[in-house]
Amino acid sequence: MTTATAAPAAATTATVEPLYVTGAGVVSSAGHGLAPLAEALRSKSAVSYGDPVGESYGDPVGDDADAYPPRPVRAVQGFRVQDHLGRKGTKYLDRLTSFGLVACKEVLEGLEGTEREGGRTGVVLATNTGSVSTHSTLLYDTLTLEKPYLVNPGRFPNTVMNSTSGQIAIRNGLRGLNATVAGGQTASLLAFRHARLALSLGRAERLLVGGAEELSAPAAWAWHRTGVLREGAALGEGAAVFTVQKEAPAGGVLAEILACEVRFTPDPRQYADGLADAVSRALDRSGVRPEEVDDVSLGAVHHRGLERIEERGVRAALGGGLPRAVRVADVLGETYSASGAMQLAALLGLWEAEEAVGPRTALVTSVGRDGNAAALVVRRPR
Amino acid sequence: MAEPVQSVNDAAAGRRVVITGLGAVSPVGIGADVFASAVRAGASGTAPIESFDASGFPRRKAGEVLDFEPTDHLKRLDPGQWGRSGLLAAAAARLAVADAGIDEGRLETAQAGAIMGTTSGESAVVQALAEQWVAGGLESLDGELAGQTPASRIANAVSAELRLTGETQTIPTACSASNYALGYAYDLVRSGEADVMLAGGADAVNRLTHAGFYALGAMAEDVPRPFAADRSGIVTGEGGAVLVLETYDSARERGARIYAEILGYAANCDAAHMVHPDAASIAACIRAAHEAAGVDPSQIDYICAHGTGTPTNDSTEVAAAREVFGDRIPPISSIKSMLGHTMGAASGFGAIACCKALEQDFLPPTANVTEPDPELGEGVDCVPGTGRAARLDIVQNHGFAFGGNNVITILGRVS
Repeated sequence: MTTATAAPAAATTATVEPLYVTGAGVVSSAGHGLAPLAEALRSKSAVSYGDPVGESYGDPVGDDADAYPPRPVRAVQGFRVQDHLGRKGTKYLDRLTSFGLVACKEVLEGLEGTEREGGRTGVVLATNTGSVSTHSTLLYDTLTLEKPYLVNPGRFPNTVMNSTSGQIAIRNGLRGLNATVAGGQTASLLAFRHARLALSLGRAERLLVGGAEELSAPAAWAWHRTGVLREGAALGEGAAVFTVQKEAPAGGVLAEILACEVRFTPDPRQYADGLADAVSRALDRSGVRPEEVDDVSLGAVHHRGLERIEERGVRAALGGGLPRAVRVADVLGETYSASGAMQLAALLGLWEAEEAVGPRTALVTSVGRDGNAAALVVRRPR
Repeated sequence: MAEPVQSVNDAAAGRRVVITGLGAVSPVGIGADVFASAVRAGASGTAPIESFDASGFPRRKAGEVLDFEPTDHLKRLDPGQWGRSGLLAAAAARLAVADAGIDEGRLETAQAGAIMGTTSGESAVVQALAEQWVAGGLESLDGELAGQTPASRIANAVSAELRLTGETQTIPTACSASNYALGYAYDLVRSGEADVMLAGGADAVNRLTHAGFYALGAMAEDVPRPFAADRSGIVTGEGGAVLVLETYDSARERGARIYAEILGYAANCDAAHMVHPDAASIAACIRAAHEAAGVDPSQIDYICAHGTGTPTNDSTEVAAAREVFGDRIPPISSIKSMLGHTMGAASGFGAIACCKALEQDFLPPTANVTEPDPELGEGVDCVPGTGRAARLDIVQNHGFAFGGNNVITILGRVS
């Protein structure tokens, strides 16, 4: 029992059991799946910071493509949801939900028959704003229509932030836990933490865990005007979703998810300390020593101020050094709600592409503007 | 009949988790006691909309917190830097912590955190940005304001105001979000991941939600009359609802007043339709919640309904209850009749009403109703009009949402 005089760290520091990642579904500007993302990372074929902008990646897409601010974007090119899901039921789907649905289709196709039973499979998906394109279009309508109540009732349900996870459940018959998680830059890592607790307590047998983000002119302008990203830093979009389960699968395992620890730091001067604390606790609860970390996949890439804070926090927790750093935002641009999931996808893709021998252990880190910090430990078995 | 959802026996494992503090910033009053008295009296919290120009709408009422002045409650947050939803949440959190009598140093050593639900996030901020867009084009958006849009800032506002260092997560699962937040926070404390958590939800009245519910044909002609034959829909509402959760042992040790123990909860997804609820799936969620809490249907003394007041939703909810309870449905009432539909805060207010009902021995009423709709069948006691004295031991709090997200929490008296 903790008393008021005890030191902090009242909560448990028990070592966690691994969770198993058995599949990954990725939709990104690099292409579909882990392999093209790894290829882009290895060749830096699309560097999303500074000029020149890669020709095939630099253009916004969609009806509002001409209304974007003067800033590079890494749009998912040539994406038509009907190509992946057929025409049925796609009329009102926005881009955000379309990305989520296609990413989930990829992971669900990898599951065996009994594993697909919907009552035992759930969803934990990260988003901070839901679909900005849907929301802002309907808001624009209600502010400009002569009859402001004549907004499209077919699209209105898409304005709630759990719309994507709801649609994923409907389309795939997933009747289990269905959570949507917001946490700013750290949202996807919070989704993993949420999923870890739910799986460890038996609230689901299997969860589709990840994040999604979409580009639109209003969202791009909002980012541009906040000034939080370095000049010339690109904006990105896409979705990455992973099948995560507690039971060791009979088949292959892409990775093991170890501890995911989070921390809130009210004082901006202590953000690096907050992240260092989350990293240290995550390593500790994973039974991993700092020197055993092979890779770190960073999240605050291109963020003014936070980029250095993140590196400083990671170095502090690891004893000064920085292992190989993976910066997926260099390739995909800023993917915000999906960033943590994309950071994990980058690691898994690289590990596959490099045909790494022996186990590898990595950190996925994230730090956000209000003081959210998160650290996930992931291990490649063998 | 839906297949059983994943069930967990919450009663069998982990630490006991109790509710020791309540914070309500609501359309019927600010503060848990004011809120409880208003609810018991069947007060009305809906009035002509002030937060936006509703003159172009056929319906012009909402449940706004008209007397909410953030600086009355907040010690640290600068109201200019946070959206209305976050401010409502932070103010409710301040009230909840004061109500719990828990000292701020204790929150820090316990590494307390905040889990907050919402439907529309910082909708008032987004609305202001859309007005800038219409007036001056996208390039005229205010960068400071744009930085206030993420829904994550609702839980962040709570943690920033109270200098919390623990898990800070916003759960935007729409209108069941507060119950979801309560459930997740309960799991954190029960499993030992945290010792103290603040949980609840917040939303702000806004133009788009008002327009959308009207467009869906779900908006009441005048006032919400859940379970009545002449019910015609919802009235949108807003507010912040926060509860303090801690272990039973820690509450006892510090001599805290215990409102209720969280006996268990269940969450599932209809996976059928974005907007229309599914009776079989809700019934499955009720059963799973009972199993988690280790209770029988006969032990439930009261259901704080989702009770939106639309014709379909109320009959679906009663049908689901009938599937589980048979002809002995416990008293089932809707506080939305008084607050309006406070969206992501709704099941948080439901939980607060349940706690106060356990403490003060009454059944919360369904206001604006004299008798239940006969079409709902025999034996539906919606506690019409005003609250009724009753000794309650175990109560059930409903939250259902767009996307088919159902969450049910079971709260019990600690004697």
